[in-house]
Amino acid sequence: MRIRDVIQTSWRGITQARARSLLTMLGIVIGITSVILLLSIGTSATKLLLNQVQGIGSNLIFIVPGATKGSRFSSPPSVQGVVVKTLTAQDTDALSREGSVLRTAPEVRGQAKVVFENNDTTVTFEGTTADFFLVRDLEIARGAAFKESDVLSFNRVAVIGGTIAKTLFGERDPVGKTIHQLGKEGIGPFGVDQDNLVIIPITVAQKQLLGIDYYNVLLIQAHPDYNISYVVSRVTSVFRQTHRITDPSKDDFTVRTQEDALSLLGDITSIMTVFLTAVASISLLVGGIGIMNIMLVAVAERTREIGLRKALGANSRDITEQFLLEAVMLTSMGGVVGILLGSSLVVLLYFILSRVLPTGWFFALPPTAIFLAVAVAALTGILFGIYPARQAAKKDPIEALRYE
Amino acid sequence: MIELQTVERVYGDGALGMRALQGVSLTVLSGEFVSIMGPSGSGKSTLLHLVSFLDTPTRGTYRFRGRDTATFSDAERAAIRNKEIGFVFQAFNLLGRMSVYENVELPLLYSSLHPEERRAAIEAAVLSVGLTEKLHLKANTLSGGEKQRVAIARALVCKPSIICADEPTGNLDSVSGAQVMEILRRLNEEGHTIILVTHETYTARYGRRLVTMKDGRIASDERVAGHASAGLSK
Ligand SMILES: Nc1ncnc2c1ncn2[C@@H]1O[C@H](COP(=O)(O)OP(=O)(O)O)[C@@H](O)[C@H]1O
Ligand SMILES: [Mg+2]
Repeated sequence: MRIRDVIQTSWRGITQARARSLLTMLGIVIGITSVILLLSIGTSATKLLLNQVQGIGSNLIFIVPGATKGSRFSSPPSVQGVVVKTLTAQDTDALSREGSVLRTAPEVRGQAKVVFENNDTTVTFEGTTADFFLVRDLEIARGAAFKESDVLSFNRVAVIGGTIAKTLFGERDPVGKTIHQLGKEGIGPFGVDQDNLVIIPITVAQKQLLGIDYYNVLLIQAHPDYNISYVVSRVTSVFRQTHRITDPSKDDFTVRTQEDALSLLGDITSIMTVFLTAVASISLLVGGIGIMNIMLVAVAERTREIGLRKALGANSRDITEQFLLEAVMLTSMGGVVGILLGSSLVVLLYFILSRVLPTGWFFALPPTAIFLAVAVAALTGILFGIYPARQAAKKDPIEALRYE
Repeated sequence: MIELQTVERVYGDGALGMRALQGVSLTVLSGEFVSIMGPSGSGKSTLLHLVSFLDTPTRGTYRFRGRDTATFSDAERAAIRNKEIGFVFQAFNLLGRMSVYENVELPLLYSSLHPEERRAAIEAAVLSVGLTEKLHLKANTLSGGEKQRVAIARALVCKPSIICADEPTGNLDSVSGAQVMEILRRLNEEGHTIILVTHETYTARYGRRLVTMKDGRIASDERVAGHASAGLSK
């Protein structure tokens, strides 16, 4: 049979049973739409996370107290909620003499309820030095950051995040106002959105709010003239000296760089991609089984036609090709519709999420997703069309023509 | 060109099997017009299906153009159904939503004829059954007689040497039936071998040879009086 005739014959088969064909396509449309959506969401979420990690400044090295055991997926004990008191002013002093380190900002964290007039909210406060604003490359929207003199003289000043400003002051200008603090709460988890942060002088946080003399984290900005891994090794040896550690396996601190965080993130997102792909595959599998089901019904319904074609000279291969092509055409069309629908939903999602999410949202419609969707749709057609097509080809012309 | 030797066809298996044909031997020469008669259930259709490669014998041998058909592949058998034997069914078996043209085109889809030569072949076949004006009508808008003539055109379009017809007039009124039989007679005169199954005596008389069947066996096989039998060959 000529290609053109197979295509025409299959097309006629599809158009003669519109309702059934549309129903068959629906399964694939849903499958492909979800593939596109999931891949797009995966890509956008990855970009968003990367952006957040990169947005916290550059050439950053984090020191957290306590050693990290196990893989790079494990977190140091201090992050898991264990109180480790080994990071102190001794360390910052030592680091200030290290030439490859540009700046160091110690941090302590706590939670507290803050009040202005009748408004209150629970916040994570961060006690640090004036250098913190330089290390983290933070911009001050209104007013000014506190200075080293504020830190030294225990001045009760705070830089507050946008969300908190809105909660406490509404539309009023918060600069120059006084906020009060109610009873303090436990130390909160790592990593808080900066819109929800209250930054105060470390002296106030340590001595007056928390009553401690250690740090939770040291933020180090490497000198741009030095290679980051060199700086890491310098910082490590400074710490070992200060802490009098000779055996590296007994380190009581963990050094992490932004690159570490990024590569960890890469691993997390590839796991996420695998997961999303699995979910999408399941929905395609369901669509494929639907196709097989409906194709089998079609084959049964068209038994007489199949018998007639065979009687007129079609061989088994001709019949297989006809029904297989019908399945592939249906799934490919379903694939195209799915791509259009999926892309529209991605656009819609972008408009909604970029408005609703405080962090924004990235538009992502990876071409690989589209290519993959088409390939997968056609493949689904072949995979789930082959069995019904074989069933059709096996029909005996006499039996088929007798069939009513 | 068709030689059946002690052919049996058993439906189902074992002792319970239905023996539709029980040792049929029949030879049909090129150019013959054979009528097969017999009561319902005597195995006429079964025999015709075997001859036209729609079915295979359970036992016995079938030689087609001197070759044993037992070894023919699915594709070979399909090709013979396509090019060598045209089949006309009692129930027409047209695709109702397709036009006359498209119905007649069907066998050509499976033939090696070049697409550009199709139109001429279809028009010639439709002309020979006198339905040129109806070429683009849908098959299900035609009368029974017209449908059967379309079916004959479809059987003819690949220019087969043999036409097998299983009670082609069974669903037709006598006028349409006569028209169909006249066409078959003319095709035989033009050189086609015709094998006709019927249970009507007056229809059977169009043939030059009459085979009667009973209980899956050939009961008689004779020349029909008044018909010449010249020009036959193996
Ligand atoms: N597919 C089948 N399965 C079982 N029995 C069948 C089948 N086809 C035909 N038969 C039986 O074989 C016998 C011959 O049938 P058939 O050749 O159709 O007879 P005829 O055409 O002479 O009426 C009948 O008894 C019929 O019931
Ligand atoms: Mg019969």
